[in-house]
Amino acid sequence: MFKKASFLLLIVGLGLMSCSKDPISDLSNEESLVYITNHDQSANFTQYKTFSIVDSVLIVENTRAGTSLDDIDRAMLQRLITNMEAMGYKHVGRKENPDVGINVSWITNTYLNVYQPLSSYYGGYWGGYGYGYPSYYSYYETSESSWVISMLDFKNPQTTPSGKTFNAIWEAQIRGAAIGDQKLVDKMADSIFGQSGYLKIK
Amino acid sequence: MKRIIIIALFLGSVLPALAQEKPKIYTIASPFERYTYYLATARYTVAVPMGSFKDNYIDKSSFQNASISIEWVLRNSPVSIGGEIGSTYFEKRVPRALYEGSEGTISAVQTRTVSQYPVELFANYHFLPRNAQVQPYVQVSAGASILDYTVYYGTLSSQDQKVRFKYGIGAGSKFLFKKDGNVGLDVRVKYDATAYKYDYIDKGISSVSGSIGLFYRWW
Repeated sequence: MFKKASFLLLIVGLGLMSCSKDPISDLSNEESLVYITNHDQSANFTQYKTFSIVDSVLIVENTRAGTSLDDIDRAMLQRLITNMEAMGYKHVGRKENPDVGINVSWITNTYLNVYQPLSSYYGGYWGGYGYGYPSYYSYYETSESSWVISMLDFKNPQTTPSGKTFNAIWEAQIRGAAIGDQKLVDKMADSIFGQSGYLKIK
Repeated sequence: MKRIIIIALFLGSVLPALAQEKPKIYTIASPFERYTYYLATARYTVAVPMGSFKDNYIDKSSFQNASISIEWVLRNSPVSIGGEIGSTYFEKRVPRALYEGSEGTISAVQTRTVSQYPVELFANYHFLPRNAQVQPYVQVSAGASILDYTVYYGTLSSQDQKVRFKYGIGAGSKFLFKKDGNVGLDVRVKYDATAYKYDYIDKGISSVSGSIGLFYRWW
């Protein structure tokens, strides 16, 4: 009797453990967004007056890269310009010696995962042989994308043997499930500037 | 024995006058008096965070807790010993806010969670006779908590999973639905603490919980 009871206890216990919780299932698209900004602590932003911005969004997917300019990209670039101007910077062309440059990229990291199904019990189909050997492997991919917006210091280039390089003095990442939602583009651009008050020069 | 009971019940129903005189069908004490018996309890629990766990991490009460226990009520002793396993879950949503970290400034809606699967041994001391219809008790317990600490920033998560020591002290009472019966109600108030230190939690996870349960006993 007691053995039966403890067995029951175990089953109920396992049942309790397997109750999975998904505490973020009720987040709205807007709430799912995460804005991460960082800046060069030594940078003095008041020395910069003008900026230029890339004419299309750089798409980086693992080791491949390309550019894109569809509706959402255009909306993002436009809103970034609006915000930079609101901070006091003057938008100039790329050939007019801008003090800082804004780079916009969409970065996707894709991970390939391999798993080996427990086939010896499931695959009764395979009969007696092949027992103990994995009959096949399955693959699944997970990927995460993010917007990365950075501000490069064109005014103070670093000269290295391989040529000129520019320091990034500000960087913003926008991550989360809804970063491809065009309705939220303005909100995204406003938010990364909103939390970077040190950029303000007027 | 059974036949005697049936006859007694029969007599009791047809001859209420006789039944009032209560024929003595038990000539010896109930088996619950004489033997060590088993008692299983299923509880639903409401928990309130306490101390620095409440101040620094989650101050919201939790309604997602349950446990089951099994115990031996020892013969000739006011003590029972047993084991309990359960599931507790605390959660709190923090509206969008800025967090300064090594990575920079993070703006996110934070969802703070802690779930625990405590596995404990306990001892109860009962104040009234072991077959009384109301049995108040005090309890001490100790064991391990299989815990999962996850903080979500938006949909991104930061997780830590550990097994940590936990203990508890409690007081409660059992109420048998009928005298010498098998089934009853259990009410308990308990303080629980888990030794844990990580991220927002600096002095362990502590809570006070109230539970209501049903128990079944047999021998």
